Amino acid sequence: MTQAHQGGARGWTGARKGVSSRLRFTSLRLRLVVVFGLVALTAAVSASAIAYWLNREAVLTRTQDAVLRDFEQEMQNRAAALPERPTQDELQHTAGQMAGSDQRFSVLLVGRDPAGRTVYGSSGGLSGFSLRDVPVSLRTAVNKAQKVDGSNKQPYHLYWQRIVDHDTPYLVAGTRVIGGGPTGYMLKSLEPEAKDLNSLAWSLGIATGLALIGSALLAQAAATTVLKPVQRLGAAARRLGEGKLDTRLRVSGTDELADLSRTFNNAAEALEKRVADMAARDEASRRFVADMSHELRTPLTAITAVTEVLEEELEAETGSMDPMIEPAVRLVVSETRRLNDLVENLMEVTRFDAGTARLVLDDVDLADQITACIDARAWLDAVELDAERGLHARLDPRRLDVILANLIGNALKHGGSPVRVSVREADDSIVIEVQDHGPGIPEDVLPHVFDRFYKASASRPRSEGSGLGLSIALENAHIHGGEITAANSPDSGAVFTLRLPRGTSPAEEQPAEDELKPGGDTDRPQGDVKGDA
Amino acid sequence: MGQNERVPSLLLIEDDDAIRTALELSLTRQGHRVATAASGEDGLKLLREQRPDLIVLDVMLPGIDGFEVCRRIRRTDQLPIILLTARSDDIDVVVGLESGADDYVVKPVQGRVLDARIRAVLRRGERESNDAASFGSLVIDRSAMTVTKNGEDLQLTPTELRLLLELSRRPGQALSRQQLLRLVWEHDYLGDSRLVDACVQRLRAKVEDVPSSPTLIRTVRGVGYRLDAPQ
Repeated sequence: MTQAHQGGARGWTGARKGVSSRLRFTSLRLRLVVVFGLVALTAAVSASAIAYWLNREAVLTRTQDAVLRDFEQEMQNRAAALPERPTQDELQHTAGQMAGSDQRFSVLLVGRDPAGRTVYGSSGGLSGFSLRDVPVSLRTAVNKAQKVDGSNKQPYHLYWQRIVDHDTPYLVAGTRVIGGGPTGYMLKSLEPEAKDLNSLAWSLGIATGLALIGSALLAQAAATTVLKPVQRLGAAARRLGEGKLDTRLRVSGTDELADLSRTFNNAAEALEKRVADMAARDEASRRFVADMSHELRTPLTAITAVTEVLEEELEAETGSMDPMIEPAVRLVVSETRRLNDLVENLMEVTRFDAGTARLVLDDVDLADQITACIDARAWLDAVELDAERGLHARLDPRRLDVILANLIGNALKHGGSPVRVSVREADDSIVIEVQDHGPGIPEDVLPHVFDRFYKASASRPRSEGSGLGLSIALENAHIHGGEITAANSPDSGAVFTLRLPRGTSPAEEQPAEDELKPGGDTDRPQGDVKGDA
Repeated sequence: MGQNERVPSLLLIEDDDAIRTALELSLTRQGHRVATAASGEDGLKLLREQRPDLIVLDVMLPGIDGFEVCRRIRRTDQLPIILLTARSDDIDVVVGLESGADDYVVKPVQGRVLDARIRAVLRRGERESNDAASFGSLVIDRSAMTVTKNGEDLQLTPTELRLLLELSRRPGQALSRQQLLRLVWEHDYLGDSRLVDACVQRLRAKVEDVPSSPTLIRTVRGVGYRLDAPQ
């Protein structure tokens, strides 16, 4: 019944607790399940309770009415027919007859025999039915003579009461024969009705349980239909955040989630368009610089080739040239070289900006490489090199040369000789320090030394460099996965520290080329390492 | 520069008038005999009429481009080719080397550098000591400057031949790309190691039985290349 039902409910809660430990308490799914469950529980329990009580009243009342009518009938037919003072035997006999009716109740008749003694007559059916089983309150009510008036025509009435004895419900009723005679009591077991009601309660409990399970499943289904799109939306938003701007959601239906998906798609489209516009504008300006440098190269190639002819003329046959013309020729020669360097650097910068710069890796002996770099630029006298031979690294020799030439060239220009270059190993990287003995770099300039076209001081409008040297050096370090930092030495002068990874060890390199196909560009152990610029 | 009994003749294929004129002027002053062509088609025609010792070839040409010209020459000829590239974008260099060029210079080029490259390439064809070496079915005759495989003459460019000679001079010994660049190309310390890789690739295609699994010219990882006598 109710108890059994409660037990069932407790079991369900316990099971759900196990599930909730896996779910986040705040998760939408759990909340939906809980809400659905509560609604289903409330509805099922109230419906069951109402149905139970209505049924119970109906069943009990019907049984009771039938029994009481029968009992009353029997009392009138048989008990009233007894003499006013019956004997024990007469009472017993009549009680037995009365109990023989369809309703199968036990009867107890109480009367006074001719001798004035109280005698009892009990139907044999329930041997235990004695006056003790009749509640005192009922006995009192039955035997109490009431005033007879307009609304109450009889002094005695039929009274009944429901009692429970040894867990079995009973209906007890009693009345007196009007006008003198025995008092009759009846006891009817309500056990069959109780059993019926019990099984009804069980059915209702089971129905409630089923409703709860059904509601949980429904909640799961509802949660899935709601959460699936939400999850998809979340995943799409994440992808969008990762830069995949072409992420779109499939829109189906016309509900709020479809609206949300549509809004997301519109936002993503707008974002993609904006980014594309910006990228296009950026690309256009880069293209312009790249195209311009390319265009500059063609005339510059012709000029360079001819300038050399002029230069040789200057060197070979000094004096043969007009002294007025000679400085002009010298200027053209030197400025052409400068222009060459500038265009070359500009090209390099555009390659980094466009991300097309590539590494051509090779195994390099650092001391040899640095010596060659210094030697090629006739800086041997001005540079002290502190490096041991045999220190190898896997890097792009041309790019290392560019870095070194720019760092050492910058040190010589601004710091003055001697410039000290030291090489050492640190973990998996190579550290090259270039230290000059100049005045150092002013603190406010320090953060800008790697900026393009940044001149250390406005009073030096024309430096010999292109203004791109250190920036290019830094880009070249970055493409290796390295770094350059600028600082002032505590002693004096500026220190540029170049840190480069030693590169992959031979064992970690690509598979042996011998196994690769010929003809393709696969047989290049250096590989194409994409720049991170 | 060494004394040449014969003035080397060059064919310069370059579409830009100013560059062509300027380079012609510069190279002539360096002591070369220079013929010029303004397009790839003209260049190929001129090549058939007069056999130059070397071709300086611009990559960006109207009509058929420099790479295609290079490939067409290589089909029949082992003539040295130096590419003149306005774009030093790495991918162009790689395509150029794969199409069979021996060396490349990047514009704007200094006449002196170009001259040095030209002379280095020309020197590769010069004969040296009188001996021969054989590696399996491959026979290298250093006096005749010929290479035969199974008795058949192999058509090698001077650069490929020089690379094979340098490797065969030190059989079993690994040579780094930088070493090979100095020995074969006479480049300075900044030589482009892809020249070596491209040339090894082409050489393997000619001398190896199965170029994809070479048994003669082996790659030594992290170092360079090595010529092995077959077991």
